[in-house]
Formats: sequence, C-alpha cells, structure tokens
Amino acid sequence: MNLKYGKEDEAFREEVRAFLRDKLPHDVARRTKTGMHPPNEDDRRWWNRVLFEKGWSAPLWPKEYGGPGWTHLQAHIFEYECRMAGAPELRWQGLRLIGPVLYTFGTPEQKARYLPAILKGDEMWAQGFSEPGAGSDLASLKTSAVLDGDHYVINGQKLWTTEGHYSEQGFFLVRTDNTGKSQRGISMIVFPMDTPGVTVRQIPMINGEGSTCEVFLDNVRVPRENLIGAVNAGWDQAKFLLSNERTSSAEIYKAFSDLARIRHIAEHELKNGRPIIQDPVFARKLAELEIDVNALEWSVLRVLCEAPSNYPIAANASVLKVRGSELQQRLTELAVEALGQRSLRMYRRDEAYAPPAVNPLWPDYTPGVATDLLYLRACTIFGGAKEVQKNIIAKLAFGL
Amino acid sequence: MDFNLSDEQRMLVDGAQRYIRERYSLDAKRAAAKTEEGFSREHWEKFAELGWLAMGIPEDCGGMGGSPVDIALLMEQLGAGLVAEPVLDTAILAGTLLAQASGSQRAIDLLGDIAAGEKIVVLAHMERAGRSEYDTPVSARAKRSGEGWQLSGIKHRVWHGASADCLLITVRLGETNEIGVLAVDRNAPGVDLTVYEMLDGTHAADIRFDAVELDSSALILRGPAVDDALAVAFDHTVLAMTSSAIGSMDAVMAMTGEYLKTRVQYGQPLAKFQALQHRMSEMFVETDQARSIVYRALAALESGDAQERATAVSSAKSLVARACRFVTGHGIQLHGAIGTTEEYAVGHHYRAMLMYDYRFGDATYHLERSAGLLPRIA
Repeated sequence: MNLKYGKEDEAFREEVRAFLRDKLPHDVARRTKTGMHPPNEDDRRWWNRVLFEKGWSAPLWPKEYGGPGWTHLQAHIFEYECRMAGAPELRWQGLRLIGPVLYTFGTPEQKARYLPAILKGDEMWAQGFSEPGAGSDLASLKTSAVLDGDHYVINGQKLWTTEGHYSEQGFFLVRTDNTGKSQRGISMIVFPMDTPGVTVRQIPMINGEGSTCEVFLDNVRVPRENLIGAVNAGWDQAKFLLSNERTSSAEIYKAFSDLARIRHIAEHELKNGRPIIQDPVFARKLAELEIDVNALEWSVLRVLCEAPSNYPIAANASVLKVRGSELQQRLTELAVEALGQRSLRMYRRDEAYAPPAVNPLWPDYTPGVATDLLYLRACTIFGGAKEVQKNIIAKLAFGL
Repeated sequence: MDFNLSDEQRMLVDGAQRYIRERYSLDAKRAAAKTEEGFSREHWEKFAELGWLAMGIPEDCGGMGGSPVDIALLMEQLGAGLVAEPVLDTAILAGTLLAQASGSQRAIDLLGDIAAGEKIVVLAHMERAGRSEYDTPVSARAKRSGEGWQLSGIKHRVWHGASADCLLITVRLGETNEIGVLAVDRNAPGVDLTVYEMLDGTHAADIRFDAVELDSSALILRGPAVDDALAVAFDHTVLAMTSSAIGSMDAVMAMTGEYLKTRVQYGQPLAKFQALQHRMSEMFVETDQARSIVYRALAALESGDAQERATAVSSAKSLVARACRFVTGHGIQLHGAIGTTEEYAVGHHYRAMLMYDYRFGDATYHLERSAGLLPRIA
C-alpha cells in the first residue's frame, strides 16, 4: 500500500492553486463563502465559463466529451482547492447528473445538442424526479407521458426542483407504461423549461429563500426524439444518475471549508474575554468534528481509488451520503454555536451579497451562517433520505 | 407530591389552548410576522384581557401574582402555538426585573402598565463583547447631569426594541462605576435604533444612546442588587422559555405522528415503518425527560435558595436545548422535504428551538454553569 499523494499530484495541486490565485476575484470568493442558497447565479455562470475556457469545467467527464482527462484523485484535488479558495460551486444538475446520462445513453444528436452547452455553462438544468407522493419512493411517480403522433403529451406535477425558476432545460422522469412492475414503466425525457404548459413556482423554505420549486406540467408537448435511450428504461438511467450523485454527496469539500469557517469565527468571537477557540469545551467539539471529517475524507479516497471492499460499492456510497449529510448538519450547527446569539439574525441574499459595511456589531463572517444550517436540514432528505440510505446499506451489505 | 393541576390552572391551560387553536393559526402568525413589528397588537390586547401579561406581576403592582408553575403552564401553550408577541421579553423578563426594584415608583408604574397591556417594556442589556445576557460586560455609561443622568453607549440585539415604549438599560454609573438599571423612553432625544429581523420573525434592534438626558427617577436599581436582580430575572425567563420549548416539542411530536399516519410511501403509511416508529419513541423519551427536568427546576425555584435555583435552571436549559434540537430536527426529517418548507409549522418550531438555544446562554454555557464551573457574573 502507498497512502501518499504522488509528486505529480502535488505538482497538479500547485497548478490548480496558481490558476485560482490568478482567476478568482476576492469579491466572488466572498459571496460564495457566505453560504447563501442558492449561490450567486451570475458568479456561478461566469465561473463555469472561466473553467470551460481552461478545459476544466467537467473534471470527471471522458476526454472525448470535453473532460480534462484527469484521474479521480486529480479531480478530488481540484474540487478541494476550488472550494477552499471560495470558487463558486458549479451546478450539479447538468455537469454531474444529466451530463453523464446523456453521453452514456443519449443519441449522437442528443450529445451534440446538449453537452457543449452544459460544459460552457450556457444552459442550466433542472431535475424533475420527485412528485407529491413520490419523494424517495420514486417508483410510485405518476406524471404521465402519452404518445400522440411524433410527440409525447406530458401531464403531472414535479416537486423539489432546485433552481427550476432560472434553468433553461429540464430532465424528467415520466410514466410511459402503467402495466406491470411500476419501475419498468418509467422513462427519462428532456425539454426546455419554457415549453408551453410548463409552470414553475418557487417554494419558500425555512432558510428564508425559495431555491427549490414545484413544476406543473399541463399538456406539455415534447418531440419523441427527446426521450433518453429506450422507452421504459428510465429506472436504470435514474439509478445510474443517482449513483453518481451519491458518490459526490459526501460533500467533503464543503466539510473542509466549513471547518475553516468555524475556526475563523471562533478566533474572532470572544467568550469570557478570550477567543472562543481557546474555550476547552468548544475546542473539544471542533476537534471531534475534525476527526470525523478526516475519516470521511479517507472513505471518499478509498472509493475514488477503488480500494478493495468486502461489500458492494453502492453500500459504501450510501455510507458517504449518510455520514456526509450528518456531518454537514453538525458542522453548520457548530458554526452557529461559534457565532452564538448573533447568528440569530435573518439575512436575505441581497443583504448578504452586498459589500460589507464595516460594522463591529455584525462582522463580515456573520451573514449566511444560520441560513446554511437551515437550508441543510434538507441534506439528510434530498437525494434519497437518510433512512432510505440505511435500508440500502442493510440490503446490500447484509442482505436484510 | 401531586402533579395534578388545580382548577384555576386547568382553566388557564384550557383557555390558552382554545385561544391558540381558534385564533392563532400558523397563517395568522405568518401574516403578523410580515408586519413592521413582527407581531400583532390585536393579539397583544387580547393577551392583556385574558390576564396573561399580569400573570407574573405581583398583586400589589396590579398583577395576578401567579406562581412559576402557573407561568410555566401558560408558556408551554404559547410555545406550542409559536406565539410571536413579546410575552417573554415584557411580561416575564422586564416584569421580573422591575418587580425587584421595589423602592422605585417608576418601576411600580411600569409593572402596572405591563399588566394592563398598556406598555411594552424590554431589557436593553447585551453588548458587543458578550455572548449571552448572563455574561455580557456592561460598558454603556451614565454620568451625573444636574439632578439626573446623561446616558451614552450601544446596546446590541434588543428584542422588540422598536416596539417598546420603555427600555430598561444596564449601565455603569458615574465615577463609582457601579452597575445600574435605567428606564428610558424609547422616543427620548438621542435614542437611535437600527432594526432587523431575527430567524423566528422577531424584530430586534441595535440601539445607540447619545447623551440622552434623564431625570433622577429613571434610575430604578443600582449597586450589588442589580447583579442579583438580573440573575433572578434571567433564571425566571430561562425557565419560562424552557416551558415554551416543551410545548414546542409536544406540538412537533403531535404533528409528526399525524403526518406519519397519512403519508404513503412504498405502498404503505410511513407509520408502518419500524425505523420511524423508533424515532418517534426516541423523541417521546427526550420530551418526557425534558418535562421532568423542568419540574425539578420549578421545585428549586420554590426553595428560595439562589445557588439551587441557578443550578437547577441551568440543568434544565442544557438538557432541554439538546432534547429540543433532537425533537425539532427529527420532526423535519420525518416529514421529509415538506418539513423544510416555510409553509409547514415544523420548520418554524425548529427556528424557535434555535432562538431558545442561543438566548440567555447556550447549552454549553448552562452545562458549565450547572456544573459550578463559572465565575458568578450577572
């Protein structure tokens, strides 16, 4: 075994750092680090374009579709450095979710039409999977797609469509067959969000913002060539897509940047006249979290480096999701604790993104700390609830 | 020992429950939260009529002289209903503090006004260097000015500051540097407010006092008595707030249990899944223990011993903060995505939990205080 990064990996890390120093302006990094949800959309589109011009916008895509040809370990280094520097996180929906589905299952026409715009960040994608009554239990979804000549006519409602209100394209799971096993009658289809019959409504969330939406589909007519792969093959495509999501769902990069944020706050907030980071109780909590984050990082590294395991890899991916999401919540809780009562102020996006006025009562690290905590109540629910992940582990690892 | 409610207490609880059920829907609360004050004056007047604002105020000052148990029972119902009006800040916190300024006619007048719902009075105590009300160092100053005082300084996070008619301000006095409490008209010249919203919809303010001139009657408390009075006021407020958190936990369990019975996933109601049944059981255990530690603290309050009171109140706060975090957090989790929306009450209870946790000392502070690890600072 060799448990070290190689010389070429360290050189690569330096290359990424130099690029970030050169290209990432302070104000963009500052806005990103507030932790507001969703992140600043203009910053994110702009950064996507910057990365595209460098050939770095899709770290894990194969070279033939525009990826940089990195190893998994290099992509890991890249993501880590970007997050620590405060680079905007690119939207998953296109780059990590539908992109791989398109180049794996799509027709040559679909690849040519959609992939370049995803790479450049010209088109953002919305995910239409969940429904009222079909959250983690996707097989019970009801939105129907009925063939009418050369078009599918789609009717139904989708829920929890993150940032649907400004996405150009959407990928949807729809029911194309009502007979037989419910998983076997599902297909994946894509269409622009401004197609007639599509209505998007933002849902106000407990963090005070509406980053997620409900989408109403009322006799939406979509050309049949927009179906991805074969009819009724949507379940396998969705499983493929979700397995990609669950590998990234450890959110290890955010965990590290959260630790840095907690440290920063705790070095500046006083308790009994001393920085709270010197308080033994607080220091112990921070130490416990650091240990847990380090353990999670090595779990990610084991998956990335295809370490041998006695269990199916999907069980390990579910561990990343369970522990990663729990840690996200604990980290934001400790950030709020470090900030103390001042964290109780409600910040809106405009206020948080505005250049900071020098005000010793409300330091620059205040906005977004509680917002992040409130938003992340959802992280043990979205992408397959924690309880469902535990069922998956029990089934895959132990055959229960 | 007898944990049964008296007839009067039963009426109090039933009345509060009925009011919350019939008049205090989440929609009404959300509408009130969007107003300039973040709460409804209409409810406030009703609360006064119902005697809720007079509950904790001594009878000889125009109040009802209710016991800490009476207050706990009322606050529990208000917590279940996520009541936004400043009952805690005015009737409990300011009321308890003023009740200890017995030599001051101004204090007696203010107590009568609070009991009648005629004035909103809040404490302006926090400063930049303090993490909580218990340990904030006071640096606002009042120097002698003729027969009266001239006040300068900045107070931080004054809950309902802009709605208040009167502010009770902790200060350092003149040459001696002893601590004092001044009653200041919020509209007095030189009082400048910056208002903002808190996570639960409460409106708070940072307040700057710039050479505010006050007559001698403004000083309602001074000297070592202030530390004791503040400690008593904070402990009573923490216990009232803790009772409110118990109500919140009960409400979360009730709505979550109902939801699990109606929501169908994988072909059956969620309530059929053993993992979720166990989670509900864990929430029940936490809430039950939380209620018990509140009883213990109420008993300690009756003992009249300051050290016993402080230890018991802090034990309750640290345990209930942890339990409430667990229960409201899992309340959201068991609702699934819908629980994370602004539209559903469970997320509002989670936000109320955060307010509970961080006001008047967080769980860590109270753990250390209950363990006797802290120097005694009011």
